[in-house]
Order: sequence, then structure tokens, then C-alpha cells
Amino acid sequence: MLITTTNTDEIVSAISNHVGDNAALITIGEHTEIDVTQLISELNASQTKFMGGIFPKVIHGNSILDKGIVINTLNNLESMFLVKNISTKDYTIPKVVFSKNHDYSLFTYVDGLTSNISHYLSELYENYGMQTNYFGGGAGSLSLEQRPCVFNSEGVFQDAAVFAIMKMSSRIGVKHGWSKVDGPFIVTKAEGNIIKEINWKNPFKVYKEVVEAHSGKTFTDSNFFDIAKGYPFGILKDDAECIVRDPLMVNDKGELVCVGELEVNVLVDILNGDKASLINAAKGAAQDSIKKASAPRKAILIDCISRILFLEDNFDKELTAITSTIEKNFDNISIGGALTLGEISSYGEGFLEFYNKTVVVGLFE
Amino acid sequence: MKIENHILDILQLYEYAMAIGKSLDYKESCDLFLKLILKRKNLNAAWILEPKGKLLHSTYAIPFGKEISIKKDQPISEFLKTIEFSKIVPVDSIVSSISPIPIDKGNATIFNLEEEGYLFLYSKKDNLSNKDLSQLEPVIKKFTINLKACKALKEQEQLLHNLEVQNQELSDYAHMVSHDLKSPLRSVDTLAAWLIEDNKDKLDEHCSTQLDLIRSNVEKMDALINGILDYSAIGKNQVETYKIDLNLLLKDVLNMMEIPSHISVNMPELPTIIGDKYRLQQLFQNLISNAVKYNDKPKGVIEIGIEEKEQFWQFYIKDNGKGIDEVYFNKIFKVFEKLENIEGSTGVGLSIVKKIVDLYGGKIWLTSEPGKGSTFYFTLKKKSNGEA
Repeated sequence: MLITTTNTDEIVSAISNHVGDNAALITIGEHTEIDVTQLISELNASQTKFMGGIFPKVIHGNSILDKGIVINTLNNLESMFLVKNISTKDYTIPKVVFSKNHDYSLFTYVDGLTSNISHYLSELYENYGMQTNYFGGGAGSLSLEQRPCVFNSEGVFQDAAVFAIMKMSSRIGVKHGWSKVDGPFIVTKAEGNIIKEINWKNPFKVYKEVVEAHSGKTFTDSNFFDIAKGYPFGILKDDAECIVRDPLMVNDKGELVCVGELEVNVLVDILNGDKASLINAAKGAAQDSIKKASAPRKAILIDCISRILFLEDNFDKELTAITSTIEKNFDNISIGGALTLGEISSYGEGFLEFYNKTVVVGLFE
Repeated sequence: MKIENHILDILQLYEYAMAIGKSLDYKESCDLFLKLILKRKNLNAAWILEPKGKLLHSTYAIPFGKEISIKKDQPISEFLKTIEFSKIVPVDSIVSSISPIPIDKGNATIFNLEEEGYLFLYSKKDNLSNKDLSQLEPVIKKFTINLKACKALKEQEQLLHNLEVQNQELSDYAHMVSHDLKSPLRSVDTLAAWLIEDNKDKLDEHCSTQLDLIRSNVEKMDALINGILDYSAIGKNQVETYKIDLNLLLKDVLNMMEIPSHISVNMPELPTIIGDKYRLQQLFQNLISNAVKYNDKPKGVIEIGIEEKEQFWQFYIKDNGKGIDEVYFNKIFKVFEKLENIEGSTGVGLSIVKKIVDLYGGKIWLTSEPGKGSTFYFTLKKKSNGEA
């Protein structure tokens, strides 16, 4: 459900009518003119269970919106938690008892601009392992200024995550469509999300040489992101698509600041894509998700904001490729989601990963 | 393309190898390496089982799952015996029974880590091949050494901790016992004094001598207890260090000691050093007091000297007293060891001196010739650790 009104009473009434006794997943476009604190207070007063996040843009059907609130029902909710202090790792993941004969899905929104998100995901997997599917995305502002962006009944927080565990089966497809230009390179020095050395050399020099040769463009003082948005890094995995890391800027030392962390000695390729390959990948993610799905009630799309920055006007085609693939197989399915700062899922049911520039399609039964 | 794949394989091994040995904490070491393998190879779980006697215990698992502590029965023992270095097996009832997480299908790759047990990598699919096993062999061997090092460090830390605790307990015990002994001792002394005072006229000479003996022994015991208290107090507290003018310190020490008139003490101009007054006073007072106590010459001479070395100050205190036989050189620094029964000697003085010198990161030794005298040398680090 999409809510466009900015009247808090109307929003609360629409949400509680929509979800009933279930919980609500509230996805808000960052330019929506509402007071989130007041919304939380009124939702608490109405005894509605909820969690949510504020994102650069939201998705509803085939529309991408800067303003608006997308509501998804979290059916068969088992538990919902808030995790603070993601950057300092000063938290404990609560224990949950999973029943053997049921499928579970864990949905999480995390502050996409905080550090140590990989540690949070690792902690989730350590505690819950293969007992649940994982799905989610990074909240925050397109201005890349960190501010409170995830919320639940306790308030709205930055450097935090919210997650819900539902007794519900889900099918997930993950793809990005970027392919190798050059590599592998070794990230010989890194700290958090900053690449400090590639192949024991200045990382920008290495990156510049490859990208300029491939693109025919020249980096100047002001066009780094314009070129770099088409040349992300890919962390290599065996027999699977690489994990994309998005270079955001180059600092005074020639170090590359990325969205998402990189470990020291990780192997990376420099990637490139074109409009067709990205749109095809998005379609592929949708196809992967529908392969095992039987009767999904809703589809939640987590699509990276940087894909729209790359695809620009063609992003509509990516969204249509996803929605038409899903709708072709399942009538009357509700489709909603967000354009995010990082995407989350377990790749092929394996260890949890934090992606950039990737599409994650989740079908929930 | 083939060469490119080989390069990739080698670089991946480099990535794995570099993740090992970054930490000497067991869990952190496992996290760094095994989470990486799980991510890169798209695996679902990893755990380590270690044999302890007839049991198998889980020492690490991701996801956590349940803790394994299972009897190594015949089928399990037979199964583990088949793993020379590594093996890929489909999950069966044996593997399920020794898994911290519930699994009933997929594949387990098992590595024999020798004394460190067995590493299990679990995949719902067949994500590891025999080629992977061969490639991973040197990496797994490095990981095994890393685990051994983690355990050795932990054992060493535990031993050191136990030693510190025991030392502290002993020191506290000595302090407490000494303190508690002083109170009844004071009562005995007071009662003996009252007896003498109240019965001055009635006591015959024999009784008076016996009572004086009691008081004299009480005094000895009091000195002994004070010695133990001083000994146990050294190193107990963090003490501030500051500049000390040794000329003034020695002047105070000599004034307090009342040096007999037949003994002269010579010393040069002494430097200002970093230390704490109380312990340095104890140090010099004990050494000078011994030089006085064991001087049998009609004209006793005590000489205090100093030499500046690069890292430390070297002092000596020389006397022309009785001297000490070389066989006693080590014995004299042990608590309650004294070479002869001299009134007022407790056998604690030189132990206190040694403990203070140790605390200042220095050394103490002596040269001596029986009948001619002794020279005690000691060093004090110029920059002490400030703990006293």
C-alpha cells in the first residue's frame, strides 16, 4: 500500500487498517513531509506493531517516489528487535527459538551509512544461521549525510538496525549485472570502507589507469563519481556473482572511499556494466525469486540507489523488467520496496552479505 | 583463460593465508579465517571438534548452534580415523550426530587438524571439490599452527595469571597474619611489664630475669613481624616516583640510625635520582644497618659509593666488618636466613633490600672476604617503572 497523505492521523489510520493485528513494515521516502517522531508516537498509541526506515526513494508497483510511504504487512510476526551501536559493535543479538518444521524470514533495515554493517550481518548469521532467510537494505539519505533513519516503537535512530523475524517462507533473487573489465587486484591495505592500497600501490592510480583506458574518459577534480558510478569493484567469490563495492569518492591521499567495507587482502575486479546488462540482471533476480515460489502474497524490492544514478531515465525499464516478470507469474501480488544504500541477503542460502549496486527481489508467501 | 584461473586460485590462497595468524585469540582467529572461507566459497557452516579423552567437544562453531560434547563411540572413532588429512563426505547420521546445527543433507568437508581436532565445513550443495582440498592443504596447515599458538598463549597467560594471584594471596596472607600477631604480642608485653611494675619488691632475681627474657623475646618477635609486614608491603601498591636528592636521604637515614662512635661513614657527593623516598630509605637503612651490626673492628669504616652507567646507577656499600663466606652469598637474600644470632637481627633485612632492588629493575650482589669485610653492590634503573 502507498500512502501519500502527510496527515499523521490519516497515515496511522491507513496503516492500522491495512495491517490489522499484523505488524507493519513502513518504508518512507526521505522527502516525505512528515514528522517521524510524531508518527511513531501515534502508532504506539494505536497499538500498531511496526518497524521501518527512511530511504532515498521508495518503490510502489512501477513507480519510484521521492515522497510517500509504502506499507507492507509483516504476517506471522515472531519477534521484532532494535539493535543500536552498530558501528561500535557494542550489542548482543537476542536469542530466538525457531521451530524445526517452519520456514522463517528475517527482514532488516540498517543505517546504510554507518560502519561495521558486515559485523552486524555476521552476528545475525552466527546466531540464527540457516534457520531463516535474510532480506533487507541500507536506509539513509541520498545526501550521504548520516542521520536517524531506522525506527520502531522506541524511536528513530542512526547507527542502528531494526529486524523482524516472521514465520513465513520467502524466495530471494540477487543479481547485479556488472562484469569484469580488469583484475584480479589485491586490496593490500584497507580500513573499513576505505581502500588505501591496491597491489601495494596508490589505489586511485591503479583504478584511474584501468578506468580511463576502458572508458576513454579522463578523471578531473570534479568528475570522480560521474565516471566511477559505472566502474565499481567486485569482490571475488567462487562460482558466484561477485559482491559489488561502490567507489564513492577519492580523498586527498588518493584513497578510494566506498559504500560498504572491504577486508585487507581481498581480491577485487574492476567492473563495468551497460544499461542492457543491468536491466537483464534485474530481470534475472526476479526470475530467480519466482523459481521456487508457489503462492507469494507480496514482493519486496531492494534496489540500489546508485543503479538509478547510473541508469537514469532507463531505470523505469529495470523496474518494469522486475515487476512484469513477477506479475506474469503471480496475479494480484503487491509490489513495494525501496531504493537503498546497500542491499542485504544470503547469497544462495549461504553466509550473509552486504551488497552495493545490486537488486534483491524477495517474494513472501 | 587457464593461466588467469591459475592466477586467481593462487591469489585466493594468498587471501586465505593472509587472514591466518592475525590474532592469537582462538575465537578471533577462527572468525577471521573461517568466515572468509564461508563467504568466498558460499558455504553454510563451519565448526571444530576437539577430542578430549573419550569425548569430542566443539571449540568453535558458526552459526553457534548447540554445544557438542559427545562420547567418541566406535562408529565415530572409526569414521574420524578415515580422515588422513581431508575428506568430502555426504552428510549421514554420523556427521549429523557431531554437528552443532541440525543438518540432514548436503556435504561436509572434514580436515584433520591433528591435536587441534577436526575442522568441518558444511555446504548444502557441493561447493567444495577435491581440487579445493589440495589447494587448501597449506592454508589449513597454517591455520592449525595458528590454533596451536593461540592455545599456547592462553595457557601461558593463565599460568601468569595464576602466579600473580598466588603471589598476591601469599603477600596478603603474610600481611594479615603479621598484623594479627602484633595485637596479642602487645598484650603479652604489656602484661609482663605490669607484672614487673606491680611486683617490683616481691619478685626474686630469677623471676625478674625470666620476665625480662619474655619481654626481650617479645621485642624480637615484634621486630620480626615488622620485617614481614615491610617485606609483604613492597610491591603491593603503585607508588609515585619523583626526584630524590640522595645526599639529603642518606643524611636522614644516618640520623635515624644512631651510628656508634667507633664507626665512620664516608660518602661522596651523591646524585638526585628518580624514586620514592620510603623505599630508598628502607634500602639504604638495611644495608648500612648490616654494615654496622656485623662490624667487629675497633675502628669501623663504612664507605658508600656510586658510579653512573648509561641505563642505571650502580651503588656500593663497603665495610671492614666480619665478612661473609662465599657459600652464603645467595642464601643471605632469602627471607629469614641469617648467618648468626645477633640481637635485633630478624633475617628479613636483605630480603627487603633485594625486593626493592628488583622493583627498581636492578640487581644486587656482593664481594666479601671473611675477617676483612664485605661490599654490597646494587643497581637502580634510571627510569624505573614507577611501581613500588
